[in-house]
Amino acid sequence: MTTARSDAAVGEEPAAPAKPAGPADRRERERLRRRAARRRGGGWWPYVFLAPWFAGLFGLTIYPMLDSLYLSFTDFDLLTPARWIGARNYTHMFSDDPVFWDSVHATLLYVAVSVPLKLALALGVALLLNRPLKGIGVYRAAFYLPSLLGGAVAVAIVWRQVFGGDGLFNDFLGWFGIKGQDWISSPDTSIYTLILLAVWQFGTPMVIFLAGLKQLPKDVYEAAAIDGAGTLTRFFRITLPLLTPIVFFNLVLQIIDGFKTFTPAYVVSNGTGGPLDSTMLYSLYLYKKGFTDLQMGYASALAWVLFLVIAGFTAVNFVASRYWVHYDD
Amino acid sequence: MGHQISRRTLFRTASGLAVTGALGPALTACAGGTGAGSDHGSLTMTWWGSDERHAAYQKALATFGKNNPKIKVETRYSGYDGYFDKFNTQVAGGSAPDLLQMDTALVAQYARKGILAPLDSYVGKSLDLTGFSKTLLAAGTVDGKLYGVPSGIGVNQLTVNRSGLERLGLKLPGREWTWNDLKKIATDVYRKSGGRIYGVDDGGGSTLQCFEIFAREKGQPFFSDDGRKLGFTADTLQEWWEFWTGMRTDHACPPPAITSAAHNDLTKNAVVIGKALFTFDSGVYGAGGSITDAQLDFLPTPQGDFAGAREGNFVNGGVLLSATRASKKVADSVKIMDFFAQDPTAIKDMRLLRGIPPTEKARSLISAGLNDTDKRNMAMADYLSRRVTKASDALPAPVPPPQGANRIWDLLFQSNLAVAFGKKTIKAQLSEFFDQAQNILAG
Repeated sequence: MTTARSDAAVGEEPAAPAKPAGPADRRERERLRRRAARRRGGGWWPYVFLAPWFAGLFGLTIYPMLDSLYLSFTDFDLLTPARWIGARNYTHMFSDDPVFWDSVHATLLYVAVSVPLKLALALGVALLLNRPLKGIGVYRAAFYLPSLLGGAVAVAIVWRQVFGGDGLFNDFLGWFGIKGQDWISSPDTSIYTLILLAVWQFGTPMVIFLAGLKQLPKDVYEAAAIDGAGTLTRFFRITLPLLTPIVFFNLVLQIIDGFKTFTPAYVVSNGTGGPLDSTMLYSLYLYKKGFTDLQMGYASALAWVLFLVIAGFTAVNFVASRYWVHYDD
Repeated sequence: MGHQISRRTLFRTASGLAVTGALGPALTACAGGTGAGSDHGSLTMTWWGSDERHAAYQKALATFGKNNPKIKVETRYSGYDGYFDKFNTQVAGGSAPDLLQMDTALVAQYARKGILAPLDSYVGKSLDLTGFSKTLLAAGTVDGKLYGVPSGIGVNQLTVNRSGLERLGLKLPGREWTWNDLKKIATDVYRKSGGRIYGVDDGGGSTLQCFEIFAREKGQPFFSDDGRKLGFTADTLQEWWEFWTGMRTDHACPPPAITSAAHNDLTKNAVVIGKALFTFDSGVYGAGGSITDAQLDFLPTPQGDFAGAREGNFVNGGVLLSATRASKKVADSVKIMDFFAQDPTAIKDMRLLRGIPPTEKARSLISAGLNDTDKRNMAMADYLSRRVTKASDALPAPVPPPQGANRIWDLLFQSNLAVAFGKKTIKAQLSEFFDQAQNILAG
């Protein structure tokens, strides 16, 4: 409404002046008139340019989500029409499906261990790389590299080879006379190989930390140095508090990412989630249910539970952040 | 009506995306890229297998194309891993292949859901099944209708690393051997190799070539005829798991980490990695291609040596060729099935790559061109199918397994592993297995 009125005002303006119209005035009037016309008549143009985005939002996000919400109340098997079964998928999940709980357990363990380690490592390396060293760009690139390979299937395959019974890791242990085991296919260690893989890919949070460190005000450090603050004091009293918004941002993102992890678990366990469901991350279980066991209705219910859990964790994060995240302003 | 159908199609297409949408990009790789249209005049055919099998299919289809220039065949192939995941997605998206290689273990599920085209009306006309035995055709028959043409005879054979056995100074057991003979020779392998090699891969959780036959020796099928229940008793499974627990204690079979690593991965099979000399996984040879340099030999699955033991082995259909019901080219697909079933060049091209050829005529056609190992394989299959046919006490060949069967087999595998890793006692795992299996079959 306000824009419309100001448009009108602009449009009327040319009629107001009483001075004889010089060439400069005419040019000015012409310019204003054209701008007004553009504003009035072109109101829908932005939406044309936004249309692909809207199509994406509704066609690829909102509609499928609502559809999957509907399917989560059916016994849809992908091949024959869906049949409404009420909340049975949800009650089955919580009361009657041991593998569901195995996958919850594996996923929570995965997130709870990998995220803090990953962030700590990312921050540590970012501090090291935040120095005016010769060839620093090369180091930064080298540390970021594993993350570029990120979800790649190839890395997960390499992981299988490295931590398998006759893999490189056991060869390495062999130099010290330690007899290794098959880390991937032992139910007590397999999930930790996935966690290690996640931690190894710390590049993305590292780059964000690095950007954050560059923003920190130099004068504060100078003042602290004058007051005789040591490295540790400076880190805990200045760097970390000033960096909390960045820590928070990384934490939220990594938790969400952690809950959604699929590729490494799928590849490392050969699509089985084994041994004994120890690497059955939630997304992998969901995939197996939908596409292998032909229980797409159940898979949709699993997807919604995951969605709600992630939303819950994120909300808790935001609430908790009030107590430990410090913003400048 | 038309409107309704199109809405349903839309529904199905979106469903794959639905899960994806909620999960973000993690799954897009799985859902995307499968939209293979099959309505562009050419017929789409898919199969899984080894490189050798791919090449053989291609070669045979080239000949078919020459004789049938009007039928254009577009081929897609992969390993077994993910093959049916992809097929499910394609069916849901309305872009299923016209003709596909089908697993005998899954044919009933797809037939009952109305995905596959019944072939009976073509048999004797454009589909010539002369020479196919009734037991063989049973592999593709669901509720009395034919949904798939068997590619060959599949029998349950153990693959043996014969040269490895000879190096240890051990002799190949005779064909009429028992579970106790297996235990004895497998223990000998461990002892004679100085503890470097175990005897046989852990069969406690393998279904098809192993436990199913053991149960049938006791007169119990794996699934009841209507597919709604398990056909074997808890006592039978308990005895089975106790046998394999004993095998592990004696180092006759490898520890669970090796067994677990080989799950879904032929390249980690105990025989392939040189940790055992006997394997129940026939994929080591044949469909999987020869991955081991050793000289291979073959033995039937052992027999029970208790009183009243019955013939447990049976003949099934290798793999099947099936057409999808929604396809507009079922008649053309049938022509290709007929070509693979009867055409001499196709039979020669496929050799043993889809099992032992189904007919006497086909077997004699290829026998000249076989290598030594192929010959041994065929001879053993021939011997075994004769023995099964002659046996008066054998159960009829198993009916095509019900929906959920693959989940039950996976459950069996995981259960055996839980026992092997010492996470569960046999008793506790037994009741869990039966509870879960019941749940799946009722589901």
